[in-house]
Amino acid sequence: MVFRAVRNDVLRSKAITLITTLFVAAATMLVALAAVLVVNLAGAIDTMMTRAKTPHFMQMHAGDLDRARLAAFVRQNEDVAEFQVLEFLNLDGSQFVFGGGSLAGSVQDNGLSVQSERFDFLLDLDGNVIHAADGHIYVPITYVQDGTARVGDTVSVAGMPMAIAGPLRDSQMQPLLSSSKRFLVSSNDFAALERFGSVEYLIEFRLHDLAALGAFGTAYVAAGLEANGPTITYPFFRVINGLSDGLMIAVILLISVLVIAIAFSCIRFTLLAKIEDDYREIGVMKAIGMRVSDIKRIYLAKYAAIAAVGSLVGYGLSFFLQEPLLANIRLYMGESEGASLAPVLGLIGVVLVFLAISAFVHAALGRFHRIPAAEAIRFGASQEAPSASRRFRLSANHRLGANTFLGLKDVLVRRKLFSTMLVVLVLTAFIIIMPRSLHNTIASKSFITYMGVGDIDLRIDVQQTDGISAKTAEIAASLERDGAVSRFVVLTTKALEALSSDGSKVRIVVELGDHSVFPLTYSAGRAPTTDHDIALSALSAAELGKKVGDVVPVMVEGQARDLTVSGIYSDVTNGGKTAKAALADDGADTMWSAVGVELSDATLVGEKAREYASRFSFAKVSSMDDFVAQTYGPTISAVGTASFASTGVALIITALITLLFMRMLIAKDRTTIAVLKSIGFTNADIKTQYVVRSVSVLALGVLLGTVLANTLGESLAGAVIAMFGATSFAFVVNPLEAYLIAPALMALSVLLASVFGTLDAGKIQVSESIRE
Amino acid sequence: MGKIIVADNIVKSFGVGRERRNVLDGVSVDIDEGEFVAIMGPSGSGKTTLLFALSGMDTVDAGSVVFDGVELSRLSDDALADVRRRKMGFVFQQPTLLRNLNVLDNIILPSVRDGRKDAGRISEKARALMKMTGIEELETRGVSQASGGQLQRVGICRALMGDPKVIFGDEPTGALNSTSANEIMALLADVHHTGTTMVLVTHDVRVATKAERVLFIFDGKIAGAHVAGRCDASREDLRAREGALVGWLTEKGF
Repeated sequence: MVFRAVRNDVLRSKAITLITTLFVAAATMLVALAAVLVVNLAGAIDTMMTRAKTPHFMQMHAGDLDRARLAAFVRQNEDVAEFQVLEFLNLDGSQFVFGGGSLAGSVQDNGLSVQSERFDFLLDLDGNVIHAADGHIYVPITYVQDGTARVGDTVSVAGMPMAIAGPLRDSQMQPLLSSSKRFLVSSNDFAALERFGSVEYLIEFRLHDLAALGAFGTAYVAAGLEANGPTITYPFFRVINGLSDGLMIAVILLISVLVIAIAFSCIRFTLLAKIEDDYREIGVMKAIGMRVSDIKRIYLAKYAAIAAVGSLVGYGLSFFLQEPLLANIRLYMGESEGASLAPVLGLIGVVLVFLAISAFVHAALGRFHRIPAAEAIRFGASQEAPSASRRFRLSANHRLGANTFLGLKDVLVRRKLFSTMLVVLVLTAFIIIMPRSLHNTIASKSFITYMGVGDIDLRIDVQQTDGISAKTAEIAASLERDGAVSRFVVLTTKALEALSSDGSKVRIVVELGDHSVFPLTYSAGRAPTTDHDIALSALSAAELGKKVGDVVPVMVEGQARDLTVSGIYSDVTNGGKTAKAALADDGADTMWSAVGVELSDATLVGEKAREYASRFSFAKVSSMDDFVAQTYGPTISAVGTASFASTGVALIITALITLLFMRMLIAKDRTTIAVLKSIGFTNADIKTQYVVRSVSVLALGVLLGTVLANTLGESLAGAVIAMFGATSFAFVVNPLEAYLIAPALMALSVLLASVFGTLDAGKIQVSESIRE
Repeated sequence: MGKIIVADNIVKSFGVGRERRNVLDGVSVDIDEGEFVAIMGPSGSGKTTLLFALSGMDTVDAGSVVFDGVELSRLSDDALADVRRRKMGFVFQQPTLLRNLNVLDNIILPSVRDGRKDAGRISEKARALMKMTGIEELETRGVSQASGGQLQRVGICRALMGDPKVIFGDEPTGALNSTSANEIMALLADVHHTGTTMVLVTHDVRVATKAERVLFIFDGKIAGAHVAGRCDASREDLRAREGALVGWLTEKGF
């Protein structure tokens, strides 16, 4: 009997059942995909980092190196399992000439390495350790992927032609957010090319136990070892390796939550409508002594069937869709060793969605207990009339037309039913506005100020060279005379020792200079202004256990000076552990210096960048637009594409749901429509009433969706952006998009769907419906 | 007196293929302005179909229906809706009221369709009709709070709001007890006395007794007409008319 009831019901409402099943399928597919991607990404990163034997602690260092002192430190430190010093030969981008151009415009520090012997291996695409032959070069996979290099072609490195033998995976420098890229050559070629660049050392350690990382870092600083460069640790490598795919997974998860909510809304709507339709029958069933649980079973069976079919279809679809989504992870990180677990976890996700739907339907059917049999049999409908709508009377209304009144009144009376449509429209408005605002935010010029960089036009870096101070002074003097420069600031980076809250010494990379010229956006506090101020990056503040207003003792010119934390900012550069201060310390070695330049005419950026690059051949000149484009460009463009895709999806969902709701309402309201027609209401009148229903719900939906996108959406986007290191930010909302174009597109979608959805209203024959 | 409805040889069939059958099979009817016509016949004879055809609620497959000088089949849906709103009133067996609206709002609904300019006058008129039909205390009540007889009165008030030329009724007392049915019929007779044409489908001889002419329909054809003339509503007159009608119907095998 239950099977027959379900079959008849499905046959009677084919379109509605199909759309509901589709949403369930989409929801389960996304959940399964997210599960599969999470497992694969985490597994692939682990596999790659295990095979590459990524260092647990790496100290970059430019300058002289005392290997004997390092070896002595290692002998005394029980935490160290393995230790090595690798050489990274920094070459100017212009020294790499490919068929299609050079790397002169690259903001990355490109350089050569040889394969290491103990750990930190560079791998081929099969995860094997590469051994480069003489005359062969392996290039970072990013350059193969973006078309800069083609396997089999020749690249000229500082004039030496080398055959591109293949792409390489680099477990620590691969992500775009890592500012260096390693090319792999043979030892002979490395030796031959050494004179064309400057060598930077990668002092690397693997520990017996990763948990000892903190203590080891403190011991390294305390030993006063080589430290002219950033320090990067294993957890940080892991984070930046997972960042871009993690972002994709976060977006999929977010969308799957929304689609699940939409699927639930669909189910709730159809269920409520069905209960309203069957009100009298439910009363009769109760009256003849059927138990509520028996009646519920009939309804539950239909939705369990929808949920089961939808879940199976969704799970099946996830297998087709996971391939393209996994391609990126596979390419950059390889196969995950735990990949066989992924389908199981996906299935668990699907089963959870199925159970959640069943539980939801079960709970929604709880209202059967509250249906009085006598009332249901007598009236065939619930007699609850919300008091608010009772006061909204046609006779007391002197402004609205009859059609507008009837539409609005119905929304008020059946608000439980329409609240479902409202939820969907709020969510779709959210799906449109939130990603657009996220894209506008990260694409805006000011966003870079959240990432530890001021809003400048050009940046001139002087690093890995002798006489950094003199060379920087030369640049400053030249800029002083340059009429095209409106402002510039010299920032010198030095490594200083600080005392953390627990008394241990911590080495921090401090950028000294006037930070008020091109201020950052501080997540708390302000820029350092006096020589007793210091601003800390979020990671430094966490490591030191400090907040704004706290005092940090820092060794300045050989003496401890109490500096007050003036502000905390986000930074993902140089391992994330940086600081900024306005004090001067002539004692400490300069690690590098950077000159931030603002031009009076921003259109001159390209021209000036070329001019400075040729005039100051020892420096690296980059335009900030190029820096942003190369570092964050792919992410910004991916978010941009995702935001357009989500707008499209949201509009389709809006149209589909409106169509579904309108068709259901028309089917439900046949008698009412017939009554209206019998007393002289035209088809156009009826259509208008339904459009009023959908547009009024839409207006409220867009309003709430916009508010939600700018509040909850901002927090959610904040969580995503926090993955990039920015701890706080304000949404950049494009009012034209958020308040005009998005609502207009949704309105168009709702209007078209309402008009199509109410076409059947015209076909309703008064004679047939009234006779029934 | 002119003809308000002229139906000529109308045919209406339902079903498909071999199952298709003519529910109305060449029916011709003329109804005078101000006349009270009852349509009687056994179940399935085509009474309600004829009523819906005469009122333009349903289309006909052949033949024509001219209402107040206009052939209904030539009108668009919207024009037909305008005719229904301005010239016709309907009273059905079950009260066809909107549950969302209270009693007063249900009554004024067709009138406010044309705009809110006369809102005050419309409400006043509705209240007057409610008083006339004895349901003035229901004004702000929901339709679920009224009895079947009261709801039928609400339906009659709504039908009268547009000062219709014709009131069509499909078993208007069919769902009521005898007291309520008598009250409703008295009300409809009063309306007819103001000059409104009445066309009612009924099973009930006592209802048909009040009609000036009774059409008997059988198997989709008009099988005869019983002309009783104007009813003065006196007890003797009603008794005499009922006796004559019952005799005629018995002759027809009803």
